[in-house]
Amino acid sequence: MVKLRAKCILVGDASVGKSALSQMFRSDGAHFQKNYSMTAGVELVVKSVSIPDSGDSVELFIFDSAGKDTFLDACEKLWGQPSVLCVVFDWGQPSVLCVVFDVSSEVSFRSCALWLDRVRAHCQGLQLPGVLVGNKSDLSSRREVEMAMAQEWAQSQGLEYHETSAKEMENCEAPFLSLAQAFYTLYQDRIQTIQTLA
Amino acid sequence: MIHAALSSSGAQVILAASSDENYPPENIIDGNTESFWISTGMFPQEFIVRFSEAVKMSLITIHSYNVKNLRIEKNTSSDATDFELITQKEFEHTDGHLQENDFQLSATTATHLRFIITSGYDHFVSVHSVTVQ
Repeated sequence: MVKLRAKCILVGDASVGKSALSQMFRSDGAHFQKNYSMTAGVELVVKSVSIPDSGDSVELFIFDSAGKDTFLDACEKLWGQPSVLCVVFDWGQPSVLCVVFDVSSEVSFRSCALWLDRVRAHCQGLQLPGVLVGNKSDLSSRREVEMAMAQEWAQSQGLEYHETSAKEMENCEAPFLSLAQAFYTLYQDRIQTIQTLA
Repeated sequence: MIHAALSSSGAQVILAASSDENYPPENIIDGNTESFWISTGMFPQEFIVRFSEAVKMSLITIHSYNVKNLRIEKNTSSDATDFELITQKEFEHTDGHLQENDFQLSATTATHLRFIITSGYDHFVSVHSVTVQ
């Protein structure tokens, strides 16, 4: 039995629903925040995910990052590489990545490439499992980003695509379960590699 | 030549920040580079080796994989407290074979050695052996 620990970076434009998504996941759907409150810097959500048929689990340390540019510098420090100035906040490299946009905002979808670049810049060639999440799937009449388009772009970037509605409690766990599973698979791959070395 | 950090001489790993029961930290001091301890995600990672008595040492050798930055601290008390830094190093990345790194020390005495891995070249790092001379 093993418990892995993964640092999950949650990014995307302001107000696409990153905090709503992570809070829904944390509380198993019990807590949807109706009033918007902007995240400043980074908020940490910790939750353990069981890997089916294994007895193993992955503890996700979700870094819910502010979407607003004003906070970008602070966020990048917390995502990233060791820093001499803030040893206490040295959480090491990201393990997995979750990029979120709002399906009713094409602008937020276009920003995803930028968010992806920003995080990958911290990873120095590290293999980083990731998902793309189209949130607010309940706003079907105002949809600006078609599922097929999002799916195609996600695939081109090696991300798995999920649509969620934090408001309707729909599918909110799926992106995180998929990230936990991908990280677990990576761990098993690495063990196999290391066993061949000695 | 004494390999003091071997379990056969009474040394123990008394703390490890990660544990997968299939790859326990005891593998670090069993004198065999085929068996290993692996970290299970995120940094820093650390483990502490306790010797059965105060040991004099001038060389520490470590076999590992994907470790980037390592700090080694020691103490001379019977508890695992009040460590002082003795050396640190950035390891080179190796592909397809283990990293082997020597730390030359000017004659040092220790009852505990604390190894802190502050970063890695991958999400997971393994330590295959630690020996002390």
